[in-house]
Amino acid sequence: MSQHGDHYDHPHAEISHSERPGYYDIMETAVRELLIEKRLFGADEIRRQIEVLDSRTPALGAKVVARAWVDHEFKARLLANGRAGCEELGITFYDDTQLIVLENTDTVHNLIVCTLCSCYPRSVLGLPPDWYKLKPYRARAVSEPRAVLAEFGTHIPDDVDVRVSDSTALVRYLVLPKRPDGTDDYREEQLAALVTRDAMIGVIPVSVGDSQ
Amino acid sequence: MTETKHLLNRLPNDIGGLPADPIQRTDHELEPWEKRCHALADVLDFHKILNTEEKRRGVEALGAEMVGKLSYYERWIAAFANILFQKGILTPSELARKMDEVAARWESDGTERSP
Repeated sequence: MSQHGDHYDHPHAEISHSERPGYYDIMETAVRELLIEKRLFGADEIRRQIEVLDSRTPALGAKVVARAWVDHEFKARLLANGRAGCEELGITFYDDTQLIVLENTDTVHNLIVCTLCSCYPRSVLGLPPDWYKLKPYRARAVSEPRAVLAEFGTHIPDDVDVRVSDSTALVRYLVLPKRPDGTDDYREEQLAALVTRDAMIGVIPVSVGDSQ
Repeated sequence: MTETKHLLNRLPNDIGGLPADPIQRTDHELEPWEKRCHALADVLDFHKILNTEEKRRGVEALGAEMVGKLSYYERWIAAFANILFQKGILTPSELARKMDEVAARWESDGTERSP
């Protein structure tokens, strides 16, 4: 650290950048250390799981969607068993959950929510955004999905069904959005780059103008 | 009595279909301790110590006031502590002692880094 050298010029400078940990931060550390001392698990397991969490981003889900768009047989397998379909692409499921992939079509638009808390297809999308975990989305998505969608700028025609799927501890959902028009000559990677997290939650469509 | 009926019919987490505010598209980068808390939950689940449903019920058991006032991961760690007490894996006093130790260690680390 260069601070020691700088100390000469700044006798009153605070060296530490870290704030005093908060109450809950201390509680987390204390719980974890006690459980490690009791040998219920090892410190390395927490470190490894943080790496797993960091490795899960919507780019994985986007890869799955793009493959489904270009490979009809894959899409059929994915819709039959979402988890097995993702695993085909090397995406492991670190939690004990099933995945149901919901296809948006010209007649059906899907939206996912977890009214009770925050269940989410974390293995393929990473952790959910805050708004997904907060009351307005959880409360209203099931009772007035079209109004919720409108707040995301998404207007679903009246002749298209809006279906809302409420996630559980054991069953998670992923929306397979519609492939946008004008992408017939796109390669799989180009398609994947169009697919956003919010499109796989179902609050917005995939459009050619978007990128991650 | 009917004005309290909704308290029985709906526990704090059961908000699907209730009226609520417009959606604010909020998000934040997890703080390091929040990410550790999430990893802790996953590892507890892997070891069959605490599963997702127990975690959700544990948050609900904090009661409406804490559910309303604590942040997401604050609720989680508070719920984990309670569940671990109930399971006899930890005791409140050993957690209190450990928290004092962690806080004291931080204070002394801070002193060491000070000139």
